[in-house]
Amino acid sequence: MSSRDSKSKDVAHLALLISLALIFSYVEAIIPFNPGIPGVKLGVANIVTVITLYMFGNRDALIVSIIRVLIAGLLFNGVFGACYAMAGAAVSLTGMVLLRKTGLFSPVGVSMAGGVLHNLGQLLVAAALIEDMKIFFYFPVLMFSGIIAGIAVGTGSVLILARLKKSVLIK
Amino acid sequence: MLTKYLTKADIVLFIILMILGGVSSAYFSFSGNSGQTVVIESDKKPYATYSLSEDKRVVVTSKNGTNTVVIEDGKVYVTDSSCKNQVCVKHTAISRSGESIVCLPNKLVVSIEGKEGDGPDVVSG
Repeated sequence: MSSRDSKSKDVAHLALLISLALIFSYVEAIIPFNPGIPGVKLGVANIVTVITLYMFGNRDALIVSIIRVLIAGLLFNGVFGACYAMAGAAVSLTGMVLLRKTGLFSPVGVSMAGGVLHNLGQLLVAAALIEDMKIFFYFPVLMFSGIIAGIAVGTGSVLILARLKKSVLIK
Repeated sequence: MLTKYLTKADIVLFIILMILGGVSSAYFSFSGNSGQTVVIESDKKPYATYSLSEDKRVVVTSKNGTNTVVIEDGKVYVTDSSCKNQVCVKHTAISRSGESIVCLPNKLVVSIEGKEGDGPDVVSG
């Protein structure tokens, strides 16, 4: 395969993954779920991040999550929300890449750590923005919600990955 | 079904995270008694302090935007905000010391303070 072909293929699969992640973000944005505590959410779009990380590697997972956060931010949350979500995504992805590298964790464990780190990243940015440590009151709730959301996302990813590996569409 | 995917490290990590969450929530629930005062900070500076037992409606205006804070029946909540995400408006009402409602875009922090044994316990009813 020439390098031009592989480049087009690269662009095509990245575009596909980003679109898929955006649809998940959109579905989550239109579901009226209000737990009364900011930051508590499932983060279904992260299924795409986890699957990309496992199937296509670190670089692609980074590209998909940065572009997804930027576009979803502009579409649904505004620029302010996007900067804020970017911090969570960056911390979360860094943690997931490192944990996956150890080879000790399943996608469920990796995603669970990702969920918790995502919430911690946002909490730290929020604390820095308002220069007030009172916001750490949310720490326990965000910790548990990160664990639960991360396990749910990881479980979904594991099930999808198992099916994708059998699929002829890949490779 | 899922158990065949899980590794030992997953379970160890799960336990560590649950313990961290448990310890921190225990820490906050012991320190959180019914509070006495409502402290409002706007744009990183103290804005005003009110008694939690006195019903009040406060409009906080800063260069970042406007929020309406309501104190009612020993609870505090935000009814109105000029910000886009409305996280503070959707937030549940707060009443215990240490709790807070934050509006990040408008840099508003509404929190409840009151030390332990600081005056009689407020019995709701």
